[in-house]
Amino acid sequence: MKNKFLIITVAVLISSSSFGQKYFTKTGKINFDATTASSPEKIEGINRTATCVVDTKTGNMQFALLMKGFEFERALMEEHFNENYVESHKFPKAEFKGAISNNEAVNYSKDGAYIIKVKGKLTMHGETKDVETDGKLVIQNGKITATADFNVLLADFKVSIPGLVADKVAKTAKISVTCSLEPLKG
Amino acid sequence: MKRKKKIILYVILSVLVIAGAAAIYIYKEYNRAHKDTAKLKADYTVNATNFVNEFTGNEQAANKKYWDKIIHVDGFVKSVDKDDRGFYSIIIGDTASMSSVRCSMDSIHNNEAATVKPGSMIGMKGICSGFNADELLGSDVILVRCVIDQKK
Repeated sequence: MKNKFLIITVAVLISSSSFGQKYFTKTGKINFDATTASSPEKIEGINRTATCVVDTKTGNMQFALLMKGFEFERALMEEHFNENYVESHKFPKAEFKGAISNNEAVNYSKDGAYIIKVKGKLTMHGETKDVETDGKLVIQNGKITATADFNVLLADFKVSIPGLVADKVAKTAKISVTCSLEPLKG
Repeated sequence: MKRKKKIILYVILSVLVIAGAAAIYIYKEYNRAHKDTAKLKADYTVNATNFVNEFTGNEQAANKKYWDKIIHVDGFVKSVDKDDRGFYSIIIGDTASMSSVRCSMDSIHNNEAATVKPGSMIGMKGICSGFNADELLGSDVILVRCVIDQKK
């Protein structure tokens, strides 16, 4: 009897520690918006190939994306974004490494929506800066949808805007993140 | 006197023509659409496994060679992912390996991916945006604006 209890306890411990700890996606969506009131049109690009991993146990969170993967509606805008602004040939990647600071408030085994606080370091255009934002986790049927919006000051990342278009391009870009995360098996 | 007037007229006319041409050029350039990947000629034709290996072996050299180039890649379809907004990604490579070539479909050609079956052989064409190295999830070469491209 004692043995049986022990086996069950061990089995439960093993399954809970090795299963459903990390969640990931390789099709995370990151939206970049630098439209201002005086912009003649929307200055907006979307990247659909971002990688994201969340460790539900520690709250650690990591994003990686390729700058060249941002798609703009206008070809010229996309070329300018890559060549003149973020210089993606020199700095092909952007990444975020951080953690959910209120991770204990999230019950990953129960369906629901949780407001999270995320803190970490964003690297883009060869510069690393601290970023802090509120986000949302929606847990449903064993999957997590993570969303967050935050602003980055382009000058912080040494992205310079030519004087000619200085009033047409926002100095802070709005970044919106949407990721549907699935449990990582293995 | 008459001749002077004629010269002025010509000058004004040519200035107008140049200004008009410049305006048309700027307008066209501003509104230029992306080229349809289906109509572009591939810069490189590669096999998915070798392609990934090239990046794993020397990312810098592979990036220099393939980045922003049009790639035709042949390989085995590991899976076809559809995201919550209906966009398809076709994942090509060796099933024994975690690493793949991830082809994100071009929005105009997105629906063509609906008929792609995992387990089949495929040829895809897209623009290489680089290499996403990840030890945990497997490292992938990413192609964007992809189209299905069966003939070589």
